[in-house]
Amino acid sequence: MSEYKTRVERKGRSLFRDGWVWLMAWRDARHNFSRLFLFTASLVTGIAAVVSLDALNNTIQNDIDANARRLLGADIVVKADNAIEEEITRTVDSLKLESMFSADMASMVLFRHNGQSRLIKLIGFSESFPLYGEVVTVPENVFDTIQSGTYAMLDESLASQYEVSSGDTIKLGTMDFVVVGVVQEIPGGGGILSTFTPSVYISYAALQKTGLIQFGSRVNYSLYLKGDNEEQIAASVEVLRPLARRYGHGIDDVAEQKEDLGRAFQSIYRFFSLLAFVALILGCMGVASSVHIYAREKRDEVAVLRCVGSSGWQAFNIYFIQIFLLGIFGSLIGALAGLGIQQAIPLLLRGVIPFEVGFSISWSSLLLGLFLGTLVSILFSVLPLVSVRFVPPLTVLRSESEPETTFSKTRFVVLTLIVIFPLAFAAFQTGSLLTGGAFFVGLLIALLLLAAVAGLLLKLVRKYFPSGASFIWRHALSNLFRPNNQTRLLMVTIGLGAFIISTLNVVEESMLNQVEFTGRENQSNTILFDIQPFQKDGVVNLMRDNGLPVNQVVPIVTCRLSEVNGRTIRELQADTTDRTRNWALTREYRVTYRDTLHHSEKLIDGEIQHRKNARDSVYVTISEGMHENLNVKIGDSLVFDVQGVPVKAYISGMRSVDWPKDPPNFIFVFPTGVLENAPQVYVTATHIADQQTANKFQRELVTAFPNVSLIDLRLILATVNSLFDKLGLLVRFLALFSIATGLIVLAGAVINSKFVRLKENVLLRTVGARTSQITRITLIEYAYLGLFSALTGMILSLAGGWLLAEFFFEITFAFDFVEMLFIAAGVMVLTVLIGWWNSREVIYTPPLQVLRKEAG
Amino acid sequence: MKDTVLSVEDLTKVYRSGDKELVVLDHVSFSVEQGTSLAIIGPSGSGKTTLLGLCAGLDTATSGVVSLMGYKLNTLDEDERAHIRNQYVGFVFQNFQLLSTLTALENVMVPLELRGERNVAGKAKELLNRVGLHDRLHHYPSQLSGGEQQRVAMARAFITDPKILFADEPTGNLDDENANHITDLLFGMNKEKGTTLVLVTHNLELARRTQLILRMKGGRLVEQEKVVAV
Repeated sequence: MSEYKTRVERKGRSLFRDGWVWLMAWRDARHNFSRLFLFTASLVTGIAAVVSLDALNNTIQNDIDANARRLLGADIVVKADNAIEEEITRTVDSLKLESMFSADMASMVLFRHNGQSRLIKLIGFSESFPLYGEVVTVPENVFDTIQSGTYAMLDESLASQYEVSSGDTIKLGTMDFVVVGVVQEIPGGGGILSTFTPSVYISYAALQKTGLIQFGSRVNYSLYLKGDNEEQIAASVEVLRPLARRYGHGIDDVAEQKEDLGRAFQSIYRFFSLLAFVALILGCMGVASSVHIYAREKRDEVAVLRCVGSSGWQAFNIYFIQIFLLGIFGSLIGALAGLGIQQAIPLLLRGVIPFEVGFSISWSSLLLGLFLGTLVSILFSVLPLVSVRFVPPLTVLRSESEPETTFSKTRFVVLTLIVIFPLAFAAFQTGSLLTGGAFFVGLLIALLLLAAVAGLLLKLVRKYFPSGASFIWRHALSNLFRPNNQTRLLMVTIGLGAFIISTLNVVEESMLNQVEFTGRENQSNTILFDIQPFQKDGVVNLMRDNGLPVNQVVPIVTCRLSEVNGRTIRELQADTTDRTRNWALTREYRVTYRDTLHHSEKLIDGEIQHRKNARDSVYVTISEGMHENLNVKIGDSLVFDVQGVPVKAYISGMRSVDWPKDPPNFIFVFPTGVLENAPQVYVTATHIADQQTANKFQRELVTAFPNVSLIDLRLILATVNSLFDKLGLLVRFLALFSIATGLIVLAGAVINSKFVRLKENVLLRTVGARTSQITRITLIEYAYLGLFSALTGMILSLAGGWLLAEFFFEITFAFDFVEMLFIAAGVMVLTVLIGWWNSREVIYTPPLQVLRKEAG
Repeated sequence: MKDTVLSVEDLTKVYRSGDKELVVLDHVSFSVEQGTSLAIIGPSGSGKTTLLGLCAGLDTATSGVVSLMGYKLNTLDEDERAHIRNQYVGFVFQNFQLLSTLTALENVMVPLELRGERNVAGKAKELLNRVGLHDRLHHYPSQLSGGEQQRVAMARAFITDPKILFADEPTGNLDDENANHITDLLFGMNKEKGTTLVLVTHNLELARRTQLILRMKGGRLVEQEKVVAV
């Protein structure tokens, strides 16, 4: 019997010590550079999106740190919805803090020069505001002028909207003020909220004289404090905080301001960074699909290398090195592009962030981009590339040889990491494992649904495409079903961008539609509030004189809680185990009294109990949700402090309230027979059909009843519109990253399938096809692809939008058909352009050249 | 007595497709001594190429033993077999199998570079000169004719001074003139370097230039014919 050797002594070489694989990687890459670059180009857009937002976030967080004191205008601000308690002002004096104060309220302003009026936020400042920072005005340094008499300044947006110039007169309450300029920046102002209610600035002394502050007026007071040093400030906060809590006042210091602003922007950042995450994941899919095709094409060469003695790992390493190095290169390009784009985003966010964003380069973001890009290029290329290790050398003799299905530890590890990576990254971006996990699952479901919709769409098109259509149209369609064409993947990647944009369209339209709907068909679209009892009849008559319906006249009584279930507010505040929210205990409640439900309400628990005689107990109803904040249930007792008079009441029922529907709506509703004699103001609502009537009525109202304020819901509609415009612009901008990634994946797929396409076209030419026909077939094929991709995204967004509108927001589903058409047309045009650009060689190469290559 | 380079014992290869079995090699046995030449001939589908693939360690047998340079190939994994090929085996294929992204010179250098050897360009140039391609060193395969590509493949096969060279229809894609040139080179280098030559061919004239002809039919070795030198 023969003696055989059954083991081979051979030295394995690590990737870094095996010079041959590096040499081979370079030799092979020389000719594939443009194609290899496409692998990582898929990364560029995703990395650029992530880096730009991360860098912007870092810059803004730094700016917040640097500007917090200036933005607050003080070291400490005490805020209250009634006059600041004397005990607090006494304490401030004893702490030797520099102080000033302001009061603000909603009010109507009448522009004398054009007779128009609108609701504004009127702020009265005492002297020496601000304690920090400065008020930027035009003309410069005129803010202090308001202290010298009946002078006012306006927010720039308000002045330009109503064409107000310096020297014009405005009426506030019973007084006229001369406008001395506009305010561009003011500590504590600006930002998205100023879009809703622009401000008018006057002196505190003047505010007191306007006659606007009457019983029932909702006025917010702020006390601005400045210390000499950090120790004094910290000690003062320690002293003031419990006092403020006791009286239901708020207290803000610089640290909190930083935290609040930081948190507010962080929320915006997290939302948008998820869009960047989508672009990155699409890029990952692009990398994986390109490498998959690349690895398949390299089979023959790998088989030769295996024949002459290369190990599986050596063959793998040759291509891995290429992908790895180009991954770093692509990441660097993406990161640098991201830093460039970062400078442009603040332009899109102008008016959303309350300060100018500075220019800076965030090195940590650059590193994040490099790290992410490299990680992604490794993770998503290794899985398809591992197949190279198992290419049988027999392929050199029989090209159809397939590798045996082998369990590979590498495959398993990489697959596990691929599942973990998006989850970990989403958690990192959102700062929460739960939110990140939810987003990851959501994205996964969206991708699966997109794939399903794409598959179904292709199936239906194939089945129902008219068989009598011309050859060119039929052939272009059949090209989509070419093996390895990746049509479905392309439909998902391009469709995802279309999905994001059209979902935005659906949500935006449905919400705007809801606001519009609120004002339709005699539903109230104008609310008048702060009507004193003696003005009630006059206001109602004015409405009737103008031919306006009086939809409801509701009495409002302001009160506070003094006890909940027999425990005083102080006791509850002192109880650290109590779950009741402090703001719910200390806030001012505006309640009404009636024995019926308003049509915006439903009784969901308990009952409405009437009060038949004065000795009966008082039963109130509470709105759903508020019971949780107050930690109460039906049957619990409450004591209300109604202007100094305690009123004990029991909760008898709970109402669900559709808050936007026909306002005003209330948290607490008392029965009749309890509050009729309490000091009260009235709110009324009406429906005004056209702007001309609205202008005339507002003018007459402000003249006759200057303290009565009016909310025009159409103005809110316009404001909501502008808010959507601002944020929507950024969403659309970021969705473009997804579409761009999809198109790069498309370019990669087109280039990868070039050889198959060349052969097909040669075949067509040999049977007589002209260049113009081949061009048309190519253009139509990509038009189909673009259309189907857009449809895939849009079908899913319409379905998802309908579900959201019907069951989540409970609003009427709507979408803008014209914008949808634009989305579809845009995606189609881009797809055709990218497809055609990358197919030029395929279309115009002479057939003989291909045949010669084939023969060679 | 010369050393046995290749021995095949009771070699069987069965392909399974669902429930069906296709026996492509049926209990084949033979051995080849150092420095000799052998041709495997037979009609299409007779199992010639399968036999060559198994002998060269490109595939694994269903049963039986292939011993190459004393190594029992069935017991080695793919990377170990690749190492054996690199150390002892050379290949020439019908469709040349050059790496399209490498120049002629680089293609020839690859097997030695794989061994970790340095400064191999000199030897590669020498071999390319020997096959008449001294002026084509930096040409890519697509810039070479079929005959030239096969000569590059020959240079690559001989650069490691292999103990055994497997050639699968080496002249199958060439015109007569190029085929003769390649055949002369193949046998010339075989003689010069003492390499064992295993040849799969349809060409009886080519087979007659070897010392032993194995005739295959239906997966079985039906005849071993010693060729008498004329």
